[in-house]
Amino acid sequence: MTGEHPALALRGLAKSFDGKVAVNGVDLEVPAGSFYGLLGPNGAGKTTTLSMAVGLLRPDAGGAWVLGHDVWADPVTAKQLLGVMPDGVRLFDRLSGAELLAYHGLLRGMDPAVVDQRAAELLDVLALADAGRTLVVDYSAGMKKKIGLACALLHGPRLLVLDEPFEAVDPVSAALIRDILQRYVAGGGTVVFSSHVMEVVQRLCSHVAILAGGTIKQVGTLEQVRGDRSLEDVFVEVVGGRTATGEELAWLAR
Amino acid sequence: MAGPVTTPARQARSVSARHFVRLKLRVMGNNFRGQGWRVALFLVGSLIGLWFAAGAFFGLASPGLVGDDRYALMIAAFAGGLTVLGWLLLPLVFFGVDETLDPARFALLPLSRRTLVTGLFAAALVSVPTVAVLLALSGLVVTAAVFGGWSAALVTVVGVVCGLLLCVAGARAVTSAFASMLRSRRVRDLAAVLLAVVAALIGPLQIAGVAAIQDTNWDRLSGVATVIGWTPFGAPWTAGIDVAQGRVWAAPVKLLITVVTIVALLAWWSRSLESAMVGAATAGPAKAGPRLTGGVVAQLFPRAAGWLRRDRFGALVAREARYWWRDARRRANLITIAVVGLFVPVMVNFGGQGFSFDSEQGFSAAGSSSPILVSVSMLFVGLLAAVTLANQFGFDGSAYAANVVAGVPGRLELRARLTAFSLYVLPMLAVVAVVVALVLGEPTWIGFMAGALVATYGAGLAVNSFVSVLGAYALPETSNPFAMNSGAGVVKGMLTLLAMVATAALATPMVLAAALLGDAWLWLGLPLGVAYGVGAALLGAYLAGDVLDRRQPELLALVTPRR
Repeated sequence: MTGEHPALALRGLAKSFDGKVAVNGVDLEVPAGSFYGLLGPNGAGKTTTLSMAVGLLRPDAGGAWVLGHDVWADPVTAKQLLGVMPDGVRLFDRLSGAELLAYHGLLRGMDPAVVDQRAAELLDVLALADAGRTLVVDYSAGMKKKIGLACALLHGPRLLVLDEPFEAVDPVSAALIRDILQRYVAGGGTVVFSSHVMEVVQRLCSHVAILAGGTIKQVGTLEQVRGDRSLEDVFVEVVGGRTATGEELAWLAR
Repeated sequence: MAGPVTTPARQARSVSARHFVRLKLRVMGNNFRGQGWRVALFLVGSLIGLWFAAGAFFGLASPGLVGDDRYALMIAAFAGGLTVLGWLLLPLVFFGVDETLDPARFALLPLSRRTLVTGLFAAALVSVPTVAVLLALSGLVVTAAVFGGWSAALVTVVGVVCGLLLCVAGARAVTSAFASMLRSRRVRDLAAVLLAVVAALIGPLQIAGVAAIQDTNWDRLSGVATVIGWTPFGAPWTAGIDVAQGRVWAAPVKLLITVVTIVALLAWWSRSLESAMVGAATAGPAKAGPRLTGGVVAQLFPRAAGWLRRDRFGALVAREARYWWRDARRRANLITIAVVGLFVPVMVNFGGQGFSFDSEQGFSAAGSSSPILVSVSMLFVGLLAAVTLANQFGFDGSAYAANVVAGVPGRLELRARLTAFSLYVLPMLAVVAVVVALVLGEPTWIGFMAGALVATYGAGLAVNSFVSVLGAYALPETSNPFAMNSGAGVVKGMLTLLAMVATAALATPMVLAAALLGDAWLWLGLPLGVAYGVGAALLGAYLAGDVLDRRQPELLALVTPRR
């Protein structure tokens, strides 16, 4: 039944904080089975957009649909299909990794036996089993990202929404996360993630959207957006960056 | 700033306390920006503070206004001493300190410890409570001026200002020391014991004080006042009165005592500040421990919650139960309940005659307590325990997002939170009922006392479910369990007050029943009280859960600290 629906559809999403517009009418259609990169400079509204898409932040206007289910009108169904790893949000970090996984699993209404089995596997694959009873608050940044990903994956969601999954992650962990995500997409899942690391996006994504100043500037498959240039060139041009001329900051040279 | 700076930069301009004060004012101002209700609450809180301060001002000025200097020293010593004591203990027990300027933020700046301490100290002086206390204790100046002329007044001004500095330095030093103790997991039990000892010391002192007043032995009391006047608690406040009463030599000595104490407190503070800044007390990465054995689900559930079903409700309760112990901020609250819950009823029921509300029964029972008075004190304990949950979502901060993403129904969420908290509090309340009943020598009262406790606690849970959903606010993400945002301080006070009044109103039937039903209440108290409490809590969770369902994202936004 959900086959004909896009994995995630955003229509006219808008949000402003204290009169300052953060997101100004975002329309996005994420096809099922795609690996979708949401690009944008700092402060472009990526986190705000994704928060509204998964039900963490109520939009001023517009709506979000997960596989055809309205996130804001029918949150229960939509949220069952969703796995989310927010950025800048704390985990329940005074639990150990294992406890945190158990919590998330049971919270999703899973059978305890299944939680046990999947959590053990995830901890093993993500090389977190050695952490034992260490509380998540004492984890390194990379480990926190990994346990966050494990929590999002545990209940086997159809759509995975990840905010900055590669930020502050060392290359080894990043490669591991990439592998897992690629396998997840190959198995029929859909991934939407935000990033401003062009290299990762270029390597992973089938689709790309560039967000700047609260609106989508460019959208399409990776090939459509990139053309025959590098993604970085396109990005800087679209966003309207500037390059230093060398005149300013002369005092940096001693 | 501009220009070629190939040579080493000029001597950096020195940072003075003024910068810290301005920074604090700016941070406070920015906290208010775009939050009209916060400004309103702040103003209301300030007005209430000033109102009380004005009342205290006239109280302290009364010897001068009346022209009777017999009690001048006594009033100065006791009022001043209580003020200092309050500044030392209240932050620990109730309110926390304003950490608008978190010391950890200054760790990377090239500031000497002396600059930092004086700066933070100066910034700490800029607050509503300090203004209120300054205003209140200025009443002493009037008294001193009437009896001793301008010289005595001048000494009193100096004394009051020094006394205020002493209060603020003491509050900072004590909370900072306690914070670093509670942060490290190893000494938390020691901290609990210490708090209990401090509280235990207040109890007898209070009882002795009340007894002394009852004896109306003014000579003995003025002797006590003289002694207090020579301790740091009373020295700054009584110096001016001494001048007025002809003991001029005493003034410099007392001021010296005060200054030495302030310096000592600042030195103590600066030591614990260091550990707060470098996070020395985080105890490093926790021991990895053995690899996991058994399933992850079994690990989540603490032994006390082992009877729960392994489902959503069970997971929520288990997680909350773990958090009440592992989160220093929550643990501090639990310790407070335990300590205050024990010593307040004992105090009230022994020195109960001070409770004007009930003085008739109190006196007629020839100094012992009465069921009504006991019920009132139980009501207070239950109320205090429940009000801890007034900002239960604030404890979670942005981590609450996990529950929003999982779409946890509001009623389930609240019921689970109340259950987990009760796992800790109900045994405590039982202990309170038993201990207080035994101490009073009235073991037959245990039943209705427990009933009143549970009824109030349950009604309080219902009220605070609503408060926590509608009036949540973000707590700063520091490891100091006593820290809170400025502005939020007043908000917190108002909400707490509101919740307590509402709870007290809901629980008055228990007191009325104790008054009207007589002996029958000894047997009916427990079942009726428990039924009332459980019913109220469930109803509260049911109704507030509905509200929560409609505003989960808004609640998340409220409890997420602004970065």
